[in-house]
Amino acid sequence: MQQRRKLDQKQINQELLSGNLKTPKWYIPTMLFLGFFVVTGFATILYMFNKGLGVTGLSRPVYWGLFITTFVFWVGISHAGIMISAILRLTQAEWRRPVTRAAELLTVFSLLTALFFPLMHAGRPWRIVYWLMPYDFARGIWPNVRSPLFWDPIAIGTYLTGSTLFLYIALIPDLAVLRDRTTGWQKVFYTILALGWRGNPRQWLLQAVAGILLSALMLPIFVSVHSIVSWDFAITPSVEGWHSTIFAPYFVIGAVHSGVSAVVTMMALMRWLWKWNNHIRPEHFDALARLLIVVATAWLGCTFLELIFSVYGREAPEIALRELMIFTWPWNLLFIIFLLTGYIIPVGFWIFKKARNNIVIMFWTSILVNVGMWLERFLIIVPGLARKQPFTFTWEAYTPSLVEWYILVWSFAWVSFLMLLFARFFPLIPLFETKESQVFTSETKIGRATVPVIYREED
Amino acid sequence: MAQETNSAKYSKATLDLINTTMIAPKKMKLIIMILSILSILGIIGIVLKILNGFEDKSAWGYYAATISFLLTTAAAAPMVAIAPTIAKADWVRPITRIASLFSVVGIVTALASIPLIFALPPLIVDETRRRSIWFEATNYSPHVWFALSIFGLTLCGLGLLYSSSIPDLAAMRDHGTGWRKKMGKSLSRGFIGTDSQWKSLQMRIGMMGTFYFLMLMFVNFLFSIDFALSLVAGWKDAIFPMYHAMTSLQSGIAICILAMFFARKYWGMENYIKVPQFWALSKLQLATTVLWFYFFYSAFIVFWYGRSASDQMVINLLIIGPYLPVFLGAFFLEFFVPWWILVWNRVRKSIPSLAVVACLVLIGVLLDRIRIFVISWSTYSNEVIHKKFVPEQDFPQFMYPSVADIIVFIGLVSLSTLIFILSTRILPLVSVWETHQSLLLTKVVKYVRTDVIAIGKPD
Repeated sequence: MQQRRKLDQKQINQELLSGNLKTPKWYIPTMLFLGFFVVTGFATILYMFNKGLGVTGLSRPVYWGLFITTFVFWVGISHAGIMISAILRLTQAEWRRPVTRAAELLTVFSLLTALFFPLMHAGRPWRIVYWLMPYDFARGIWPNVRSPLFWDPIAIGTYLTGSTLFLYIALIPDLAVLRDRTTGWQKVFYTILALGWRGNPRQWLLQAVAGILLSALMLPIFVSVHSIVSWDFAITPSVEGWHSTIFAPYFVIGAVHSGVSAVVTMMALMRWLWKWNNHIRPEHFDALARLLIVVATAWLGCTFLELIFSVYGREAPEIALRELMIFTWPWNLLFIIFLLTGYIIPVGFWIFKKARNNIVIMFWTSILVNVGMWLERFLIIVPGLARKQPFTFTWEAYTPSLVEWYILVWSFAWVSFLMLLFARFFPLIPLFETKESQVFTSETKIGRATVPVIYREED
Repeated sequence: MAQETNSAKYSKATLDLINTTMIAPKKMKLIIMILSILSILGIIGIVLKILNGFEDKSAWGYYAATISFLLTTAAAAPMVAIAPTIAKADWVRPITRIASLFSVVGIVTALASIPLIFALPPLIVDETRRRSIWFEATNYSPHVWFALSIFGLTLCGLGLLYSSSIPDLAAMRDHGTGWRKKMGKSLSRGFIGTDSQWKSLQMRIGMMGTFYFLMLMFVNFLFSIDFALSLVAGWKDAIFPMYHAMTSLQSGIAICILAMFFARKYWGMENYIKVPQFWALSKLQLATTVLWFYFFYSAFIVFWYGRSASDQMVINLLIIGPYLPVFLGAFFLEFFVPWWILVWNRVRKSIPSLAVVACLVLIGVLLDRIRIFVISWSTYSNEVIHKKFVPEQDFPQFMYPSVADIIVFIGLVSLSTLIFILSTRILPLVSVWETHQSLLLTKVVKYVRTDVIAIGKPD
């Protein structure tokens, strides 16, 4: 079925810049609603700083709880951008075009949000400054460069820098379009950001080369980020359930699963809010769902390996931990929800073409995936710490406090707020990619069938 | 007029490709004779090994490595066709047959694995159950399940090959002569190319391809754990089955590249298998090469930081122990050298260079298999297997292959090659119907000042 419509350049500009050149009706109420959570969320964080970590549910031996879970979750979501933009660009998947910008944006904002959580988790985040400078050389104390906790900020920082650059480079031609269609301070703003873009062949060549180079360079960073996050746990033999060799690919595949699902959620919202029916079409959801089936199944395979090897050694503490996780209330309920929402329900839907092309179903199943993926991280981090071990003198189950839950809600509001703020000033669907797609795609008659055609330069 | 030209092209391609099954390449008879003699020697070698008995497990290490090499090389090759076909990649059409033709080698692997199944120790050793993934299963579960799965995989591969060959068999019925015509008539099952027949064919290929992939993963999972990991006390490595499967894809790609090289050189397929096919596979080869390091490092870092006795044992036994030179060989030939060569785009487009890289990768995979399986089988003993880990004093010395081991390896590789070459006498090395599809869906068109390729992408 052909869903693609031939659009001229004027129509593309009109439709895709509609949110930038004038404010949609729903925009201000939505921003106010999200803004409420953002402001009250920041207030809650300040309250926590003032009162200390005692207002959270964290206590011995569960020092890593909802904050670290949410940190891992947002780092996972950030894998959407590179997966969609870099990998699909390198593999020349034509359907990626309307999705790339939103995915890259999600990467940047989710990474920014993720960075908040370890800082909050530190309790008195300003003291982290002492860790950096002025450095206490006199006492001969050096940062432990062998610790993944040290690699984490470096990897995430590099990823954030690279992703921002990636987003910006792809934005330049669109900024020039906005520059030419605005007046006053906006024109000045876009002129500065457009870096003198005129769209001459040399500029296009440089932009294309930069995109491909960054795609290739970002790939190892993309893999390293979540691998390093996984090693925060995996290199620790003292906590049961953590010391597993599969953690790195398991985390990366899980991150892609949750990140791409978040892109699906966002695409549905973009289509509904800005009425971009000509640009975000059921065929895009279909393609993403097919990709997700593969990713989700690989992720399930890793989950299976992780579980089977945890009990392979037949060590009593490991078996007890898995019994706690899978058979003991309330962990068993969380485990069942995790399996149902992370794989069984969504993939159960996605195997049917009708469901893949139904945007409402795709929207809700993609949300389910992220419920499951958040629970996965929670189940990896907390039960291993909460279970009684021979040398722990105190132990208790962990229940996140209201403060922690509210900060979790804040993180979602914060990312959505930033996304909408960005969408007010910059196009969420790349104009130049859409125009390029119009040029590079066509259709032809073969026999009685009309077949879509894509054009590729000869190798 | 255009249609006439197309039908002339189809007829030419059909006759050209069917003729390749009838006209033998130069010196074919001599090659077949040499391979037959070596195969017979290999079978004699197997008989000698069986006559020596199954008690001494270390004597079966090189045999296990050989089976693993065949399993990971030939059995993975059809995946080179399956995955891109499912992803609707247009470059894959000329090489799907070469890749799926490797399914016939599965017969050799399945039959040759029977003695190894007899050599595998039972689950209950000295009245105590050894560590395995078969927690409470019956004593010979690994033996039965592996036998079922390897024969299942072979049948599935043959089914896939047959399904994807039906239109070609019909072409042989219509254009072939002698026994080929008769064979085409009986095996093409009345295929005349109606809409429903094509739809059913595509569906069967898709389903069998997916099933083959799942079976391949299952076989890799069972073989890597039951025939290597669980034979070494204390080796607990959740990523290992994935590593085994990934290296399997790596060598599957390498063997396909090599077969494509020979198909061009000796079967005159230069007009069908061209640089884009090699280029596309070289990128996959590069990806698997990098993944080799990623998977290896993901396990290594966890063992390195774990520092427990069993963690250190894994490093000391499998990496820096007596087999260090073999490990280094695998490291350089599976990762470092191919990676350094394949990062250069010019090399990725050079067919002879890719053939050299493929050879290096295959040697690297063989060394890796020797390292893993010879160590596992020579470490195993009824006394050591129940310990928490293998003490350093029980580490085996470096084992050189016996004459029988060498004969078996050469014999089985020769037999596999022989069967592959003989099968090219039945089916053309490039699929006729997919060549037609390429002609139908791909054409060079003028775009402004340049030539571009227009590729049809039917649903």
